[in-house]
Amino acid sequence: MLKVMDSAVPIACWSCSIGHNDSTLFCPHCSKIQPPPGGDYFSVFGLEPRLNLDLTALEHEFHRLSRKVHPDRFARAEENERQWSLADTALLNDAYRTLKEPLHRTEYLLKLEGAEIGDEFAGTNGKDPGRAPADLLEEVFELNMQLEEMRMARKTGEADPELQAGLEQAKRKFDVLLEEVDHDLHTEWNKWDEGDAAARKKAEKAMVDLLHRRRYLSNLVRDVTETLGA
Amino acid sequence: MAYSDKVIDHYNNPRNVGQLDKSSTEVGTGLVGAPECGDVMRLQIRVNPETQVIEEAKFKTFGCGSAIASSSLATEWIKGRTVDDALGIKNTDIVKELSLPPVKIHCSVLAEDAIRAAIGDWKKKNSAAETVDAAVAVVAQ
Repeated sequence: MLKVMDSAVPIACWSCSIGHNDSTLFCPHCSKIQPPPGGDYFSVFGLEPRLNLDLTALEHEFHRLSRKVHPDRFARAEENERQWSLADTALLNDAYRTLKEPLHRTEYLLKLEGAEIGDEFAGTNGKDPGRAPADLLEEVFELNMQLEEMRMARKTGEADPELQAGLEQAKRKFDVLLEEVDHDLHTEWNKWDEGDAAARKKAEKAMVDLLHRRRYLSNLVRDVTETLGA
Repeated sequence: MAYSDKVIDHYNNPRNVGQLDKSSTEVGTGLVGAPECGDVMRLQIRVNPETQVIEEAKFKTFGCGSAIASSSLATEWIKGRTVDDALGIKNTDIVKELSLPPVKIHCSVLAEDAIRAAIGDWKKKNSAAETVDAAVAVVAQ
């Protein structure tokens, strides 16, 4: 569902036969419910792809559309319309869940733009998964050594306050690095939203790198948290 | 996904786990990582300065079974080879030897990178050392 349909090509309404752009859940002419549109998640809400979104407005629109397509309202409708209300509701939920969460939204938009990112590209088919941030390798390795020591100490029942303190300090450090990544992501959001095609391509590349770095860091923080909490 | 017998063997009995003295000029250290899975790999070599033969290789890897097996195998293969010979090892050789599935090919890439990084580090140290030697020689004249 990542292919963006050319919204300039009208689709004929199944009911009134008048053409409309294929991004709407309801025909703008006869107001009849339509099959799930083939456009992207943004167009479901009548939005252009953007990274800075008004989340309050998005939520309102989500609730408004949810009420309109709610299957209860189509209980006595034709079979087609009943099915479409279910399918439209599912689409609306997916679209809202994806767009409201900043990282999901970023990843989704990057995929729309053709970036190879996300779990399905994580080291599959021999594709180069990219390299760990070179500036962090030493620290990451050191952290892994500490984690291993900590787990060993736990197994033998020995508490090592120094090790514990070291790990807590490392966790704080990586938390700060995560915040930096999020800050940098926001900067790239703005560049993308306001930029021309060339600036957008540049921002996309930067965001792909930032998301990789973020994933790497959050995996580390998760490991440390788990080990500390064990 | 099932691991091949060879992967399981290297995972259970990893060869050459350990550490060499990073500060020694005879030692090259390669530290590489893959962000997607969080794997980090350190591979170290000790090279005989006369023969350029890798006499000792050690690794420490934090990662999945395939990453550990790939680096373990890499240390086995490079030991006894000359530096230039060791650079000829390709990740596809590791894939073949360990029967790695497509989703684990990046582990072998990491191991190849680690070999190159270790040799690169050693070369850097030693070209620097040569320059110092040459400079000393010039001063001595």
